[in-house]
Amino acid sequence: MFKMFLKLNWKEFNRGNSISTKLVAKIFKWFWIIYFAFMSVMIGIIASAYGGPTMEFPLEEDSAIPFLYVNKQMIYFFAYLIVMRYFIQTLPFLNIKSFLLTPLLKKRIVRFSILKTVLTYFNILPLFFLIPFSYILSKTDNFDTVSLVIWNINIIGLIYLTNFFNFLLNNKNSLVYTVGTILALTKALEYFSIIDFTIYSQEFFYLFYELPYLTVFTWLMVFWLYSYVKQYYLKGLYIDTGLQINISEAKVEEFNWLDRFGKTATFIKNDLRLLKRAKRARTAVYMGIGCLFYGLIFAFTDEIYGSTGAFFGYLFSTAGFLFMFGSFVPSWDSQYYPLMMTQNIEYKEYLNSKWSLMIIGTVISTILACVIYSFIGINAIYAVLSGAAYHLGVNGYLVLWAGAYTKSPIDLNSSANAFGDKKAFNAKTILVGLPQMGLPLLVYYFGNTYFDHLTACLLVAAMGALGIFLKPIAFSLILKAYKTEKYSTLKAYKSN
Amino acid sequence: MIEINNLVKKYSNQTVLNANSLDIPSGQTFGLIGNNGAGKTTLFSCLLDLIKPTQGKVLNNGVDVSKSEDWKSFTTAFLDETFLIGYLMPEEYFHFIGELRGLSNSQVDSFLVQFEDFFNGEILSGKKYLRDLSKGNQKKAGIVAALIGEPKVIILDEPFANLDPTTQIRLKGIIKDLSKYKDTTILISSHDLQDVTEVCERIVLLEKGEIIRDIRTSSATLKELEAYFKTRIN
Repeated sequence: MFKMFLKLNWKEFNRGNSISTKLVAKIFKWFWIIYFAFMSVMIGIIASAYGGPTMEFPLEEDSAIPFLYVNKQMIYFFAYLIVMRYFIQTLPFLNIKSFLLTPLLKKRIVRFSILKTVLTYFNILPLFFLIPFSYILSKTDNFDTVSLVIWNINIIGLIYLTNFFNFLLNNKNSLVYTVGTILALTKALEYFSIIDFTIYSQEFFYLFYELPYLTVFTWLMVFWLYSYVKQYYLKGLYIDTGLQINISEAKVEEFNWLDRFGKTATFIKNDLRLLKRAKRARTAVYMGIGCLFYGLIFAFTDEIYGSTGAFFGYLFSTAGFLFMFGSFVPSWDSQYYPLMMTQNIEYKEYLNSKWSLMIIGTVISTILACVIYSFIGINAIYAVLSGAAYHLGVNGYLVLWAGAYTKSPIDLNSSANAFGDKKAFNAKTILVGLPQMGLPLLVYYFGNTYFDHLTACLLVAAMGALGIFLKPIAFSLILKAYKTEKYSTLKAYKSN
Repeated sequence: MIEINNLVKKYSNQTVLNANSLDIPSGQTFGLIGNNGAGKTTLFSCLLDLIKPTQGKVLNNGVDVSKSEDWKSFTTAFLDETFLIGYLMPEEYFHFIGELRGLSNSQVDSFLVQFEDFFNGEILSGKKYLRDLSKGNQKKAGIVAALIGEPKVIILDEPFANLDPTTQIRLKGIIKDLSKYKDTTILISSHDLQDVTEVCERIVLLEKGEIIRDIRTSSATLKELEAYFKTRIN
């Protein structure tokens, strides 16, 4: 049975449209997985001698502090795990309708679909951290090996709890709001140093080391949640319940204030509705907002990453929406591309409206980023502004151009996979993507090395300004690409 | 209005369409029939520049559709659900199409009044997105959208399929009126011989991509077509 399902999965992959695209995507995915696995091992080794930013590294041997420190940080790991799973992990529940009438037990269908996620990289990657970390600790005399193993088994149990929890998150919106609010509150309380959750985290996770019988409890929870999810899906296996796409009450939204922009506005209005009403598209907005804070990672680490690293952070912070939305033009319209191609509009107007929306998104991102980074100082603002200018003048075109070659349809009703998914990747897309980040970084690096920060920012901004002046030329090139690719795009979208 | 010259479409070595020449004058109601795989949809897709013919060209009011986009201003079509925008409400969808054809929202609204019967109260102000409508209602919305803005050429692929009997009769009335009073060229494909003979002035029969018959509809046409398809059974 399991074998048959796996075979079907393989055929689905193998016979789908644009197999080479998918292959490149798979290779990319595995590249990242191997990269993360490697990083996990390294972090595991480092963590075994690390006691926090105030301690000297490496700690002298035979110290219990590293273990306590990891327990302290564990709460963050699980918080991020829940968030990442929700946004990235695909649940294998797509083509279930065609099985309903076959003489398969419904239980088996559901069991297969749920158990398939047991081996997902989200569950495996943490092992690459846990194993070397625990192994090194067990070599010291501070820890009881058996207790360490039990601690690991508990952590793995908690990881699986998040795995099954993700199924529920993906199906119950109210749960998403609840969890989102809790996480945000936690972060806020911690950020304003009202409550230090890490103390509780340390005590909580340390319990698993001290009290071995907790393991029973943890894994009972795992099995209970698994069977709950199974029941939930069994109940949903009717076309008028779980298999139906949720119907929400519709409201007319006219966005009349956009009318002054003429035909471009007609499309922008539609895209705004798309961003509001299609879950998948909404993810692009959330990702855009998330990217705004990307610069903070590098903000105070000038000594480690150098100023070019910091510049990368600022550069990226305003690009989130541009990339998340722009990379999927025209795929957003894949479900009704034939309509777009026969309506009374020219390609140029269509593309111009998409470009305008990216520009609007980038400008809003820039304003927000300026507010966020104004705390850091004027140099950060310079970097944000020059990066934004580059996005407006260069990346807008590049993203649009790459879109001509991205021929993977988007199912607007599914939300998963907004980041690094097979739907996004394409060899040509990657080639176009390189200069998007590389070139401005290079220019900044030389500017900063030979002159100073401000000059470097101005150089990057100058490239953007040049791009804005060259819009007619850039657009005619993009238009040409779209026109030659039109028929194969239509064909690719059709075999959805 | 529409001229087709030597239109050939091949997939690898298989010819799916081979229409030597076809001339559809302005204002004609033109029916296209044939079994599955006869090339009806392929022909329509070529007319709309949705696929590139291997050979030959299509002139729509003198415009070569693969060279210029000017034909789009007077041509509309509804081939399948890919012509609908799922996340819009029917009203928004009609307004969107209307805007592209240079009509204001209120103009579109007053145009829609005449379709109240046709919609049967299930489409407008229903608080549903197009993606949540039933297949039949989606089709109604798509067909009516194709009528917005007084197009000179309307292309409908299987407009009668999936519609309830009452709606079919209403749609036939709408199509007849359009050709009678508005001088609109209408291209229809169908599997239902009766529907086509009832509505169309001219019927072209496709088989394996080739034009087998080209008939001016008369009272004898239905019999003739039925006789033809019966001979295909063996």
